[in-house]
Amino acid sequence: MRRDHLGLLVLVAAVAGLPFVVSTAYALTVLNIIGLYAIVTLGLILLGCSGQISLGQAAFYGLGAYTSALLSRDLGWNPWLAIPVAIAAVSAAAYLVGLPTLRLAEHFFVLATLGFGIIVNVLMLQMVSVTGGGNGLRDIPALTIAGVRLVTDRQVYYLIWALVFGTLVLARNITAHRTGRALRAILGSEIAAAALGVEVPRYKMQVFVLSAAYAALAGALYAHYIRFISPSPFSLYASLFFLIMAVVGGLTNIWGGLFGAAAVTVLDQMIRAQLPRVFPRVGGEYQTAIYGILLVLIMIFFPRGIVRGALDVRHTLIRPFAPGRGADTEPAEEGRA
Amino acid sequence: MGPAARPAHPPPTVLALLPQLLLTGITVGSIYALGALGFVLIYSVTGILNFAQGEFSMLSALVCATLLAWHLPLGLAACGAITAVCLVGALTERLAIQPAFGGAPLTLLIITFGVSMAFRGLALMVWGADPYTLPEFTPGPPLVLLGGVLVRQAIWAIGLSGAVVVGLFAFFTRTVPGAAVRACADNAFASRLVGISPRQMSLLAFTLSAGLGAVAGLVITPITGATYDMGLALGLKGFVAAVIGGLGNAPAAVVGGYLVGVIEALTSGYLSPGYGTAITFLVLLIVLFLQREGLLHGAQRRHA
Repeated sequence: MRRDHLGLLVLVAAVAGLPFVVSTAYALTVLNIIGLYAIVTLGLILLGCSGQISLGQAAFYGLGAYTSALLSRDLGWNPWLAIPVAIAAVSAAAYLVGLPTLRLAEHFFVLATLGFGIIVNVLMLQMVSVTGGGNGLRDIPALTIAGVRLVTDRQVYYLIWALVFGTLVLARNITAHRTGRALRAILGSEIAAAALGVEVPRYKMQVFVLSAAYAALAGALYAHYIRFISPSPFSLYASLFFLIMAVVGGLTNIWGGLFGAAAVTVLDQMIRAQLPRVFPRVGGEYQTAIYGILLVLIMIFFPRGIVRGALDVRHTLIRPFAPGRGADTEPAEEGRA
Repeated sequence: MGPAARPAHPPPTVLALLPQLLLTGITVGSIYALGALGFVLIYSVTGILNFAQGEFSMLSALVCATLLAWHLPLGLAACGAITAVCLVGALTERLAIQPAFGGAPLTLLIITFGVSMAFRGLALMVWGADPYTLPEFTPGPPLVLLGGVLVRQAIWAIGLSGAVVVGLFAFFTRTVPGAAVRACADNAFASRLVGISPRQMSLLAFTLSAGLGAVAGLVITPITGATYDMGLALGLKGFVAAVIGGLGNAPAAVVGGYLVGVIEALTSGYLSPGYGTAITFLVLLIVLFLQREGLLHGAQRRHA
């Protein structure tokens, strides 16, 4: 625990100092986007702690963005009020989605979330009178603090990262205490957990709604930060992108969420900058090839994430004959099949 | 989004539109039926939902277009494309699925998503974003049937997918390898005891599914054209069809394919083309809700 707190403090200090070291608008934008993605990824990892994944996170992210944008832009609400209302609305939507689907076997739940994500994206495109269709919504009001409009990257940076740490601490506390133990039991075996008195459906629902709330928070912040939204960043590809971040970080590793979001976003920026030099005639989503191969390799070689995988490799190198690499830390996950 | 040949000028009355929409739906549905069969085949043998299924159709269409550009005759190019895609299916199984065999179902599911993304990206690098097309197998003026227009290629689509389905059933019921696949789907552990290797059967299932996807891609491309990103939509529709059919039931999956095609055509025709995909997935959600006991039961049996 103590080491954990120290690590968190060092990280907070580093993040707080970062804008003084890197000050280009581009770098700050990337850091802000990493923060938003980290919040979504943290939600996915909380869900992963209960042995589930969702391919509807981009839909919750987008619903959060659209709800907050419409409330503040078209109804004139203060964004500070619109954001919590958007989060509550998206949580309610997640509850309704989860009610019938969470009882499905794990991969059918994934498909239900995928179907939900596609439906939401189609509605964003088609309900032109409300959402503006493919043209999206412009002129979304910015957040204000004490009369100061948060419009520059640097101003928004501290707000986003404060919320990243807020959600991180919340996620860590949840997983470190009673709920976390219940989730790990569910991850190990739902039947065994139920037999021990864990209310499996209730915990699964809570963690699913919370993951949607995380995504909605990030989406609402995105809307008031970029101040323009369109359906394309909330498609199935975005859900896959979030899944990659969670997988890179390790699907049950809270700290890994931050690492996954940062690593994948930086990789994405590098690929976008470098790949056109190698393949000049291709445009669009060529980087999906690299992500696809990355996803396959990670799932084959490091199914518990890069961070844990690297620790395991080191462990094996130092003590090659030690029984079961890393098996002592989280035995539950292995028995999931 | 639905790859369907729609009438240029909608006829005046609702009923007059119906035959055309049904014909379109059945044409597209025959393609979805092939995709659904591919899903069912792999799922019943390995318990894996293969989201790369639609990419097999995309690869076969684009490979065939390239072979045609090399001045090969259509029949030869088509056979070449199907062979190549079967090989790709086998390689996918050996390189991506086999190393994680026996892992958690979610691990394997994520892997198939990765494979799908990899194929889409690689196809974009090789073929670019421009649409390709294939000539109709038998060019000629469209036929008029029951007040609707049917392009000749649609008859190929319906006929060929029907023939493939019949051939597949013959393979499963009349041949020893087919019986081995069914045995493995029924009980992998028991089939190992009688000398059937589930890993070999998994390889066979992926190869055959890739072949099914390849045929679907070749047949539909003369009607809809082919692009590097066509696989996702095709695969997801095939998947919805497979779920409607209960995922373990091949004949029901074929019916599911036609059902999805018709629902999509009717929605596109009567509501708005943009909503076709949304309605398809709404049907998926409804079916998942209604069937959940049965589906859950099937999944648990597999785990036992």
